[in-house]
Amino acid sequence: MVLEATMICIDNSEWMRNGDYSPSRFQAQADAVSLICGAKTQSNPENTVGILTMAGKGVRVLATPTSDLGKVLSCMHGLEMGGEMNLAAGIQIAQLALKHRQNKNQQQRIIVFAGSPIKHEKKALEMIGKKLKKNSVALDIVNFGEDEDGKPEKLEALLASVNNNDTSHIVHVPAGQNALSDVLISTPVFTGDGEGGSGFAAAAAAAAAGGVSDFDFGVDPNIDPELALALRVSMEEERARQEAAAKRAAEEATRQEKGEEAQPQSDSQNATMNATEKASDPMDEDDALLKQALALSMNIPGSDSSAGDAQMSEATNDDQEFALALQMSMQDGSKDSSAQSDVSKVLGDQSFMSSILSSLPGVDPNDPKVKDLLASLPSQSEPQEKKEEDEQPKDDK
Amino acid sequence: MSAAESATAIHRNQVDLLDFIDWSGVECLNQSSSHPLPNALKQGYREDEGLNLESDADEQLLIYIPFTQVIKLHSIVVMGSEEDGPKTVKLFANREHMGFSNVSDFPPSDTAVLSQDNLKGKPVVVKYVKFQNVRSLTIFIEDNQSGSEITKVQKIALYGSTVETADMKGLKKIEDH
Repeated sequence: MVLEATMICIDNSEWMRNGDYSPSRFQAQADAVSLICGAKTQSNPENTVGILTMAGKGVRVLATPTSDLGKVLSCMHGLEMGGEMNLAAGIQIAQLALKHRQNKNQQQRIIVFAGSPIKHEKKALEMIGKKLKKNSVALDIVNFGEDEDGKPEKLEALLASVNNNDTSHIVHVPAGQNALSDVLISTPVFTGDGEGGSGFAAAAAAAAAGGVSDFDFGVDPNIDPELALALRVSMEEERARQEAAAKRAAEEATRQEKGEEAQPQSDSQNATMNATEKASDPMDEDDALLKQALALSMNIPGSDSSAGDAQMSEATNDDQEFALALQMSMQDGSKDSSAQSDVSKVLGDQSFMSSILSSLPGVDPNDPKVKDLLASLPSQSEPQEKKEEDEQPKDDK
Repeated sequence: MSAAESATAIHRNQVDLLDFIDWSGVECLNQSSSHPLPNALKQGYREDEGLNLESDADEQLLIYIPFTQVIKLHSIVVMGSEEDGPKTVKLFANREHMGFSNVSDFPPSDTAVLSQDNLKGKPVVVKYVKFQNVRSLTIFIEDNQSGSEITKVQKIALYGSTVETADMKGLKKIEDH
């Protein structure tokens, strides 16, 4: 958000007719200029931008530094190409225009588009650079177009003589697929000195580069924080749900095998189940929740998705395995009968269930309530009433 | 403001104006970034001989110092080394945002050519009548003693007195006792 007055020096010489940048060098330059104007004005509303042309009959100032973007953009219309670029005069006149800016608190910056060969000597350019540095004017150079011998060196020398604390930059844009503006967007010319990018620049980058942005969802949190947050939250929920589903599938596979044997006491399964249930240890307060979960699994299919979902979202925050258990019970309630019957078979195996329950810290298998529940599990008709008795007012169906 | 006139003044009734400098507006053109203006102006830094204000692209320096209130400037002290210390110093009162290009546009309020004594710490008395009502001071260092590329200034101190102006930043609500 630096307060800045910028003068943009445009090259409108004959060399700009060339088509090696699409659609023509001049058009690519014009697009880049309009993007820069927008970025500058957006990063700080008090910023001013001015334009001058360096070729043609002579250096001509089209617009003195102004914050009126419309005026600046309209100057770009109807520009004619011709003549040779006079870089030294262009920079000096830009410096003069900046000197007479209205708001003296603004930092001074010149952006030069150097598309044609440079006829000045390196020495002369260095003198100009020193003068700019002395008056604390920063300079950005965009080297594109003609690739003459010695041109990059001259421009680098100019940059070196101006540069003070890395406020000045140079960008070399070779001809090719990428448009001039696209290449420039990611450079410090647009983003300012290590500010991390104005919102404008980042959004423009996202749009231009086809969704390749720094932000996960193609939405800049600066521009739309609620949307970005909503996207992030839903992504996490989905991920958690998928993990739980995957785990449930794995667990179910194990359970199905074991359920077919009448011998669920195998160590591995015990270990698995114990592990699952132990991980559900936060159920100590949730004797009731356990009953509810078990009851849900016996429930009429499809009736409890809301309660299940509420459980799910709580659980996701706390404990993945707990979520798994709950989801399992919920899903089993709504799934087709084969899975249900498998689970009911397992649950119906009293000895197995009591072994599980005994591993829970808060549950005493000898507790009459628990015994009642166990007794109620195998039959589907009874749990309706049992459920009503056993469940405490916590029932939030 | 009789408290401002302390016994540590160099001359009768003159105080070091360091306390009245508005640091947020202080600027220096053509300073080297590794040797900036606070090295010469700020308490502590300016006493340190190793810390200098140095010029960058050439030997000239343009220093702009606004004050928090109106002051009268009596004298200045500019200390530097024998060869690289400043020689010709021009002072402009109440001119804002000057640049190197317009230093010659109007005559300075005062000009001083520093001798070796001055560089050792002898104060330069300025034309007091021209500095009766100073809101900001611009110091233009035109060249240095030996004509080298870089001018080095070790210390800049300003002495004078205040005029009874309200410092708007210091305005506080009067409490009822």
